Amino acid sequence: MQIELIHRPGNTAAKIQLDQGESCTAESGAMIAMSGNMDITTTTHKKQSGGLLKAVKRMMAGESLFLNHFEPKAGAGEVWLGATLAGDMMTYDLDQESLIVQSGSFLACESSVEVDLGWQGFKSFLSGESVFWLNLRGSGNVLLNSFGAIYPVEVNGEYIVDTGHIVAFNESLDFSLTKVGGSWLKSFLGGEGIVCKFKGRGTVWCQSHNPTSFGSAMSSDLKARKV
Amino acid sequence: MKADIKGGAAFGYLDLALEPGESVTTESDAMSSMAAELDMEPKVNGSLVSAFFRKFLGGETFFVSRFSNNTQETKRLTLVQPTPGEIRCVDLNQGSICLQPGAFLAATDGVTLGLKWAGLASFIGREGLFKLEVSGTGKLWYGAYGALLEREVDGELIVDTSHLVAYDPSMKLKVQLAGGIFSSFFGGEGLVTRVEGKGKVVIQSRSISGLTGWVNPKLY
Amino acid sequence: MSFTQYRVVLTGVLNPGVTQEQAIEAIAQLFNTQPERVSQAFTQAPIAIKKDVDLPTAQRIQNALSQSGVMVDIQTMEGEAVSSGQPQDVSIKGDQQTSKGSDELQRYDMPGLQFSIEGRPDYAFLTVQLPKNETLKVEASAMATMDTHIVMKTKIKGGLGRLLTSESLFINEFTAENGPGEIGIAPGTPGDLAHVHLNNETIYLQNSAFVASSSSVITETKWQGLAKGFFSGESLFLIRCSGNGDLWFNTYGGIIMLDVDGDYVVDTGNIVAFTEGLDYDITKVGGYKSLFFSGEGFVCRFKGKGKVWIQTRNVGAFLHWVEPFRPVESSSSDD
Repeated sequence: MQIELIHRPGNTAAKIQLDQGESCTAESGAMIAMSGNMDITTTTHKKQSGGLLKAVKRMMAGESLFLNHFEPKAGAGEVWLGATLAGDMMTYDLDQESLIVQSGSFLACESSVEVDLGWQGFKSFLSGESVFWLNLRGSGNVLLNSFGAIYPVEVNGEYIVDTGHIVAFNESLDFSLTKVGGSWLKSFLGGEGIVCKFKGRGTVWCQSHNPTSFGSAMSSDLKARKV
Repeated sequence: MKADIKGGAAFGYLDLALEPGESVTTESDAMSSMAAELDMEPKVNGSLVSAFFRKFLGGETFFVSRFSNNTQETKRLTLVQPTPGEIRCVDLNQGSICLQPGAFLAATDGVTLGLKWAGLASFIGREGLFKLEVSGTGKLWYGAYGALLEREVDGELIVDTSHLVAYDPSMKLKVQLAGGIFSSFFGGEGLVTRVEGKGKVVIQSRSISGLTGWVNPKLY
Repeated sequence: MSFTQYRVVLTGVLNPGVTQEQAIEAIAQLFNTQPERVSQAFTQAPIAIKKDVDLPTAQRIQNALSQSGVMVDIQTMEGEAVSSGQPQDVSIKGDQQTSKGSDELQRYDMPGLQFSIEGRPDYAFLTVQLPKNETLKVEASAMATMDTHIVMKTKIKGGLGRLLTSESLFINEFTAENGPGEIGIAPGTPGDLAHVHLNNETIYLQNSAFVASSSSVITETKWQGLAKGFFSGESLFLIRCSGNGDLWFNTYGGIIMLDVDGDYVVDTGNIVAFTEGLDYDITKVGGYKSLFFSGEGFVCRFKGKGKVWIQTRNVGAFLHWVEPFRPVESSSSDD
């Protein structure tokens, strides 16, 4: 599997080339274009686990994760992937380890990587935003996307990241949800609200922009939804 | 203070290294990540009365945040605007610049955010009754949605109001119809701003109203 | 500023074994122009044959021309030579005679209106120079700046077709009535701009991709047929642009040009434009489970030989993302 990133960093697309017999797994809806011989099968978060009902249940809970598996039929093939919002992409080579990824940032991985939905770390605090977290485990190449640029922060001690700016982080890091400026009142008056404090040693990948802030900026100009 | 604008024109963000004792004033909710040891204090934007007017008539937020480094080491602070786009730095040296609502990102100490009467025309153009005039000595960072483009005006230039970001305070702004009455309303341009004088105008290459104008017909 | 713009400069130097006629032919084909204009350029070499492009575009032109044996230099618009990042199969001759003054280089460009594109590739902004009495057709509400020589008129274009698509009904006509003028155009869509010079050719655009054209380009809305239109997600109509002149269209995200020879599958939300002569069908991907859960729904399968322009971001995905940010209005109110 070969990944080439095009139009970095603003509106990045990934061109994935697969040899015969190779396959890759991508987030549903990410395909832009592909060669005519590409086969798609759709599953819930793991390739062999069936259970359509389970999948529908998850979809109701706002945690739908359908994955498409691409495999060229005869000979090699290529598939182009893109994210929902403008921004950059990065690849990460998992080596017998675990990476926690914000669900909207996951784009694709090699079939050897296990995509686990079970990670509950932030869930109870951040409901309301349709954010959940994936645990990518094992070995193989992983493709992530961000809203805006991606910058890594090497944490050694403590570091604060606004919750809307987290792309992924090493599982070795400890984290807690907290406030900025010493009191909750200050944190909310300063517009920061709840932020995430990482502790220990490891890397956090941040996205330069916050999708929720952008959505809110255009909110009042959007056509109203009738209920 | 070491300051780097990163992310290019598409996704500008501001990376600051605050030295011990230094501080910076930012737009509310501009912090995206920071060293945990930095202190943050919300401040009322300007004087209380003008802050009130700015909030309700100028489109800016009531509070700004002041980040200070009270430790003995250099600490990192990353700032960003809600919309993706370009960020610029202006070195004010007793000078001043007018900013459209929402364009302010951050400033060093010594820079003041002032409010000036913008006139009824500005209010009709949905830009508020007051304009933000930034003056003093120090660094100012501002930005917008899309890329920032500079135009030297000597005479007159017509600018779609939603694309105007910053301009020299000496320039005069007038609101007018884009074309005839029919064209102005059915042609989608509506009111435009006529900039008069000699000086620099900064425009943004995209606008939120343009974006929603593209999206809205597709929504049901 | 990362918006460095480049120009491609014809050095006049040819590879051994290549005649000037062959070179002129190759350039004329690449730029879609008359050989006479190119031979005129050769007499003025070194001269800029393409201006205000980004580095990858300049390199593509360089690459394409080098295959025909034509040597070109890439320079910044200020005239600085670019030495890094050249494609490996292109050998750039070093000390050729330096370019003439930039005034001279500005004078010549490929046919059509003078224009520049800033803010590429993520927020491209188009500036067009209009000679006196020239008219430019521009998508409604895309005008961002203009000087006072230019006068705007609104025309209803495409009649019923555009009405049904609920896209903007109007195209504005900007005419430089009081002398030559400059107009700045900002599409609503965040993304890139592409320019084609039509030479009695036809190109189909996805409904909201049209940005501007010279007045000589004919724009019509074209019914796709119910089945194709209904499932294509974008709209029931395409815009058919034909004739002679400049055409600018925009993309959501970056732009990728695909040369189709055989068959190629494109998500319906990522199609921007395609050349006439390509056949296409709307099909589903995978099995029925994929139809509903793959997130891909229906795709467009192009067959034949031609060009397809695709965008790196998907309109449908963005509409889905925007949903939670929409204000809510109770249905009891009349509107």
